[in-house]
Amino acid sequence: MAVSDAVRSTAAVTTTKDPGPDRPPSKFRQALPQYAAVSPFFILFAIFGAFPVFFSIWLSFHSWDGIGTMKWVGLEQYSYLLTDPTFWKSITNTLIIWVISTVPMLLLALVIANSLHNATRFRSFYRIAYFIPNITSVVAVTMVFGSIFSNNFGLLNAFLQSIGLDKIEWLSQPWGIKIAIASIVAWRWTGYNAIIFLAGLQAISSDIYEAAKMDGASPSQTFWRITVPLLRPVILFTAVTSTIGGLQIFTESQVLFGSSGAIGGPGDGGLTIVSYLYDNAFGSNQFGYGAAIGWALFILIVLFSIINWRLIGGNDDERITKRAARRVQRKIAAEQVAADKAGKEHADAH
Amino acid sequence: MAVTRRQFLVLGAGAMAGLTGCGSRSSLGGADQLSMWTWTGSVNDALIGEAEKAIPGGNGKQLSMTRIGGDYKTKVLTALAGKSMVPDIIGINDDVATYFPNADQFHDLHALGADKFKGDFLEWKWKLGITPENRMMAYPMDTGPTALFYRRDVFDKAGLPTEPQDVAAAAPDWDSYIQLGKKLKQAVPGSAITDNITSVYLYALAQLPQRYMTADGRYIGDGEHIRKAWELAIRVVKEGLSANAQEGSTDANAVVTNGRLVAFIGAVWWAQLGPKNAAPKTKGLWRVTPSPGGPGNRGGSFLAITKYCKDPEAAFAFISWLESSKNQAQSFLDPVLFPSTPASYTDPRLAAPDPFFGGQRIVDVFAESAKKYPGAYFSPYDSIINDPLKAELVNVEIGSKTSDQAWKDAQHQIDRELTRAGAI
Repeated sequence: MAVSDAVRSTAAVTTTKDPGPDRPPSKFRQALPQYAAVSPFFILFAIFGAFPVFFSIWLSFHSWDGIGTMKWVGLEQYSYLLTDPTFWKSITNTLIIWVISTVPMLLLALVIANSLHNATRFRSFYRIAYFIPNITSVVAVTMVFGSIFSNNFGLLNAFLQSIGLDKIEWLSQPWGIKIAIASIVAWRWTGYNAIIFLAGLQAISSDIYEAAKMDGASPSQTFWRITVPLLRPVILFTAVTSTIGGLQIFTESQVLFGSSGAIGGPGDGGLTIVSYLYDNAFGSNQFGYGAAIGWALFILIVLFSIINWRLIGGNDDERITKRAARRVQRKIAAEQVAADKAGKEHADAH
Repeated sequence: MAVTRRQFLVLGAGAMAGLTGCGSRSSLGGADQLSMWTWTGSVNDALIGEAEKAIPGGNGKQLSMTRIGGDYKTKVLTALAGKSMVPDIIGINDDVATYFPNADQFHDLHALGADKFKGDFLEWKWKLGITPENRMMAYPMDTGPTALFYRRDVFDKAGLPTEPQDVAAAAPDWDSYIQLGKKLKQAVPGSAITDNITSVYLYALAQLPQRYMTADGRYIGDGEHIRKAWELAIRVVKEGLSANAQEGSTDANAVVTNGRLVAFIGAVWWAQLGPKNAAPKTKGLWRVTPSPGGPGNRGGSFLAITKYCKDPEAAFAFISWLESSKNQAQSFLDPVLFPSTPASYTDPRLAAPDPFFGGQRIVDVFAESAKKYPGAYFSPYDSIINDPLKAELVNVEIGSKTSDQAWKDAQHQIDRELTRAGAI
């Protein structure tokens, strides 16, 4: 009784009309204060999250320079996109940068995590040291790497020349640019991934390792047969986050080449999908085209996440059972259709 | 008591009406303020400080200026697209023509009486702010006349002429300039006369009386004049006279600091961005002389009054005051904006010898260039035409394409972009 009185008095405060003693307040009215309490997130999300997402779909069917009127062009932006060699180049660039940064990065992270796991002294110090690159400003890091890789007076070239090799024009050659960008990405994210792997390693029970030791397993056997399989969900997580991050590389090319007017650098070697999007939308004010590129990128990320999931994620056995279950379902559905058809024919015959 | 309360209510209602009135005009800042956006280093701070107290001749309005850090144009476009809280006055860079299709977003300065100042300005500069439909969208600020910068000491070492008038006589055109560059390189190995291929192209383009489109909208960017500038840029690189330091890279500064770049055709603002900033130790060694190939202009900005402006007359009073020849002379001292008003060139503050250039009066050289420059029509599409050409030139410089292939690819890309933009 006391509880319902309290609810009613709250309802009376928030609503002006007295619902009357006979009719109890509706469920919605009762819950109004709670709805009000959680609404700020949803309102903000609707304005800054949901609205831009849907608006960008709408925008991608238009030609708009940002100030004038929007002109409906249907699927023209998308057909231009599919026949745009620069767009395809930006995709291959992004994928190449992604592969040459992610693969060595995750391998190195695994090795670092393993040694951190076995470290006995200065553990916190090492963990912090490996994590610091991740919280360093990407702009600052890129500028430093820009001087390391710089063509004429770069540190790396100075080193190459000091050991008697020829200097390489890193930032003028499409391949050099990709290597430079990939190393910035790898430098920033190796430590982060190592810490994630470390957390995964710590969750593996030491009993398993002891059992393996008893059975006479070598360290490399332990690593490949126990550590890696048990880390699988963690590896999937790092692979998916690296994919999402890798497909959205932007700042590195922007800082290295943004002020040169050609955002991708010489030969568009560092032109990534997002930098192409940015250049079209905010450099040439082709907002409709920028939106179309954004949606193409979205589809690409979904595709790659699915591929990752298939490759690394899930249990094989589980997947097989799932596939079998689906086959059974399909069979049942087919039988159902056949039965319906038969029933219909039966009815028609009458 | 009752009366005071009523008075109070009336006052409050008046204030509300005033606020909504202000809101419906949709411009940024308080009712007695004119808001202005420009990028960093585009105006003289002392003059702005004066206008922030009271705009001279501005109906008692005050200026409220915001210096926008990065991505200036993006922020301006966002404000214009939002159609509210738009600044009253905005600065526009030398891509002023890209705003022409949206000229209705700005006040026509003809209607505000701009024509009475026309005679004070360089004719070609004045024209750049006027659309083909004869709407004056933007008012001139500074300019970027070009000239040849060179290191006197290195020329001396190479046994070349050293005094400005002798250098100008020895290199009146690009051909003789390239010959001179070859001699420099022989005498002082590693010497370069440009930082990269695009600089040569852009400065050669900056000397031409026509660019990519005609005023009636015909594309001429595949014409002989552009191809010549293109071939010239490639020739300079093939002769080994480029330092191969791409625009905006750390190398672009390094080639000045390390003394590889010993001569450079550049706009007046390069004096600050190049040698003064990157190679302060070379003080006294640089000289300036009229550019091989003739006078040119690269860069220079404008001011425009948006249609949301609270008080267009006051805003015009402000910009015509800020860009008067007297005040432009002051803006040359800080932050080194080269005036678009010829009367400023004889101002004693400009004519002072510059110790960085060995006491040479470099303003004289640039003033000649600014006065003799023929002017050219900039179309709204110039930047989308320019970008593929620049990018393909870089492909030639790094050796990934032949000149013919790169030219073909650039023209193909331009054709696609112009078709999409509805320009051709």
